[in-house]
Amino acid sequence: MLGRISAFWARIEITLAALLAAGVTLLILLNVVTRNIGAALFWVDELAIYAMVWMTFLGASAALHYGHTVAITIMTDRLPAAVQHVIARLVDAIVLGFALAMLWFCWLWFAPAALIGNGFDVEAFQGATFNFIYAEPTATLGVKKAWVWLAMPVFALGATLHALANMLGRSPLPQEAAE
Amino acid sequence: MTPLIFIFQLLIAVPVAIVLALTSVWYIWESGNTVLYASFAQKMFSGIENYGLLAIPLFMLTGELMNEGGMTRRLINAARVFVGGFRGGLAYINLLANMFMAAIIGSATAQIAVMSRAMVPEMEKEGYDKGFAAATTAAGGLLAPVIPPSMMFVIYGVLAQIPIGDMFLAGILPGLLLSVAFAGVIALVGFRKGFPKGRWYNSPEAVSALLQCLPAMLIPIAIIGGVLFGIATPTESAAVASLIAFVIGWLVYGEFKPGALFGIFKRTAVNASMIVFMIAAANVFGWVIIYEALPQKLAALITSVTSDPFLFLLIVNVILLVVGMLIDGIAAIILITPILLPIAMTNYDISPYQFGVVMSLNLVLGLLTPPVGVGLYIASTMSGVSPGGILRALWPFLIAVGLVLILLSRFAWLSTALIG
Amino acid sequence: KDFRLGLITPPPHIWTKAAEAFGAELKEKSGGAHSVTVFPAQQLGNEAEMLQQLQTGALDMAFMTVAEVSNRAPDLGAFYAPFLASDISHAGRILRTDTAKGLLDQLPAKAGVVGTGYGMAGLRQIVARGKIDSAADLAGKKIRITPFTPNLDFYNALGAAPTPMPLPDVYDALANGQVDAIDMDAELIWVLKYYENADTVLQSDHMMFPMVGLVSAKVWAGLSEEDRAMIGEMMARHVDGTIDSYVAKEQPWLDEIRGVAKTYKVVDASFFADAVAKWNTIWEAKAPATLEALRKAAQDTAQ
Ligand code: NA
Ligand code: NA
Repeated sequence: MLGRISAFWARIEITLAALLAAGVTLLILLNVVTRNIGAALFWVDELAIYAMVWMTFLGASAALHYGHTVAITIMTDRLPAAVQHVIARLVDAIVLGFALAMLWFCWLWFAPAALIGNGFDVEAFQGATFNFIYAEPTATLGVKKAWVWLAMPVFALGATLHALANMLGRSPLPQEAAE
Repeated sequence: MTPLIFIFQLLIAVPVAIVLALTSVWYIWESGNTVLYASFAQKMFSGIENYGLLAIPLFMLTGELMNEGGMTRRLINAARVFVGGFRGGLAYINLLANMFMAAIIGSATAQIAVMSRAMVPEMEKEGYDKGFAAATTAAGGLLAPVIPPSMMFVIYGVLAQIPIGDMFLAGILPGLLLSVAFAGVIALVGFRKGFPKGRWYNSPEAVSALLQCLPAMLIPIAIIGGVLFGIATPTESAAVASLIAFVIGWLVYGEFKPGALFGIFKRTAVNASMIVFMIAAANVFGWVIIYEALPQKLAALITSVTSDPFLFLLIVNVILLVVGMLIDGIAAIILITPILLPIAMTNYDISPYQFGVVMSLNLVLGLLTPPVGVGLYIASTMSGVSPGGILRALWPFLIAVGLVLILLSRFAWLSTALIG
Repeated sequence: KDFRLGLITPPPHIWTKAAEAFGAELKEKSGGAHSVTVFPAQQLGNEAEMLQQLQTGALDMAFMTVAEVSNRAPDLGAFYAPFLASDISHAGRILRTDTAKGLLDQLPAKAGVVGTGYGMAGLRQIVARGKIDSAADLAGKKIRITPFTPNLDFYNALGAAPTPMPLPDVYDALANGQVDAIDMDAELIWVLKYYENADTVLQSDHMMFPMVGLVSAKVWAGLSEEDRAMIGEMMARHVDGTIDSYVAKEQPWLDEIRGVAKTYKVVDASFFADAVAKWNTIWEAKAPATLEALRKAAQDTAQ
């Protein structure tokens, strides 16, 4: 079940990431065209950067599901299959640890409990927490930066989901399966 | 404790990006400065909030579109016109075509994959030793990250906070030097073993090959001309190159279907996010170690050994050679730049451009050295020669790279002369 | 305690020197009880990131542009009223008034930081590719700015496309035409040679560019009364010293630039046609009280 949700979510992440990659390309081309006809648009650079950042974190989360990650396998490749299997589970656990840590860091940063506790009153929230995340503006887009920063909790949640599914979904040790 | 955690994670094949992030988490914990955790996610985000990094997905897109659009084959045919008739002509064609491609492609592995498939069977057909054919192609791939554009230089430029256009300029002379060194190796090998003689194209063939190649030549012109003549930034020129590659592959060569576009964007997103995410993690890592003033402490150690910049660079070269044998080049540059660059600049007054060129060339060399040599394995897969078979013919090229590295370490102007 | 002090300027810059002098004096006067490690050149992140680190207490101190702080305390934007100061020394006198100092009182609540006092950089000028004969020549052009609302409002009022861009990219962007013009101070125009790729340098003196010395409010709360008094006074004195440095150096820099620029023009408010009036209308709605108070302070300190 968890495996199916993880696969489904990874497909959505990859599709969105591909659309964002196309968006980056179009925005940069738009930049070249508008500047050369003397009608430059000031918000394009910032939007293109955010599109790339979202593409990155969506793609990085999906990579945990598909196993598309750069790792140094020089030592593990030489080990017997059974040991490799144990190590793979240890790596799964470490990746899950990372995902949970990211979730916790996002919790500290977005402080959702304090925001709700203050009835979504940003001024009161800031006074109580010294946390100014909801006051930060974007440079040119006219929206609050917190909307863009949502990439991080989305990434943390996706990574946690995929890591959990990997860990629970792995087949048992080869010899156990044989018994 | 932190270095042990770091190495242990690397050895059990935890993804490199996650090794960097978790080592930072651990280090913060150990140093007791846990207030940094509240900024951790934001720092990871802001580490890649960078205009220059947009070039990475765009260069990858250009490479994908060129492969699908049939441009590579036509570039090789054009190279035939110039050197095809010499003894060993096809070996020089291989080198020349690799120089052409290097002016378009920003990544060595992409170039080795494309060129091995195209060149090795041709050389074998004409009677070359297959191992030598694969070795020449693999070595030629090392030009990709040195001759601009270069993904490695983009990443280095972002980490070093220097203009990427200037970093590209810094690669031109070293790229030419490397090409000359490779040509020398080919000549020497030919002198000892004797190469088959190629044939010159007759005039209609030559004209046809050049005409066929003309549209494809627009791409390097768009990239280099765009940057040098101020029409576009390096980043923008990559987008323009993608557009040209798409239009030529689709409308001029007719080898490319627009329906394939979504698949291409998907591959671009997957590959680019892998690299950019590593950069995000490396930035957090760099930030944490700067908070604890770690580079300053390491600098004290190294400066107690030598105060001579050349000697320092040689030491760095040896360290990098070992690192490059074990770790893929881009991951390595991301790991090492934040630690060594401040020392090179502050304690030895080394130009960041020279340091970037030396470091990049050294680390791409690692692509061809076992035990972890991604480029070697790609060349092997694409050509059907065993890695050992390639290595037997590859070592003269590796020595040539070593000599070029020593020259680049000794003479800073090789890297800095073209920068205004 | 060893305090971490961050700023965006490179090591040889006037602000960084002031930070180091502050650190040295603090160490001496506290008898070694306190010291300061300076992190220059954005080592700890850009100003937005450093401000966030000040808020969490990860960073103890910073010398920061008022521009960045005005993203959290918007009425500080009134400092950037075009042509509020008639010249660099007038700008310095405005920053030393009680009116200006009073504006720092809101910072602990609004931005989680304590402002100890003002410093400054040079007045803003415009460096452009191509000929600029009137404000109309700037319309439709891409102009690099430091991103904060008052500056954005000014260039939008001119009909230009204001483009935020980090400093290390500016030289290239101007050289290869990614931007048509830049908004910059005399020091950097001279030191970083921006005039090399420009056809026109406009000495417009259109905005002042104040800086503020900050201490994390969380860190401040943990200091003793005596430490607060000593650190507050000492930091204020060192940031204030940068005002004297710029007043002394502004004219020599401008003279150097005039000597090498292809075209050098001195212009005043009338050059910018109705853009100044448009800006005033916007800000008379955004921060009426502060704008009026600062105008009065400017009048009182005019000579
Ligand atoms: Na290249
Ligand atoms: Na290697």
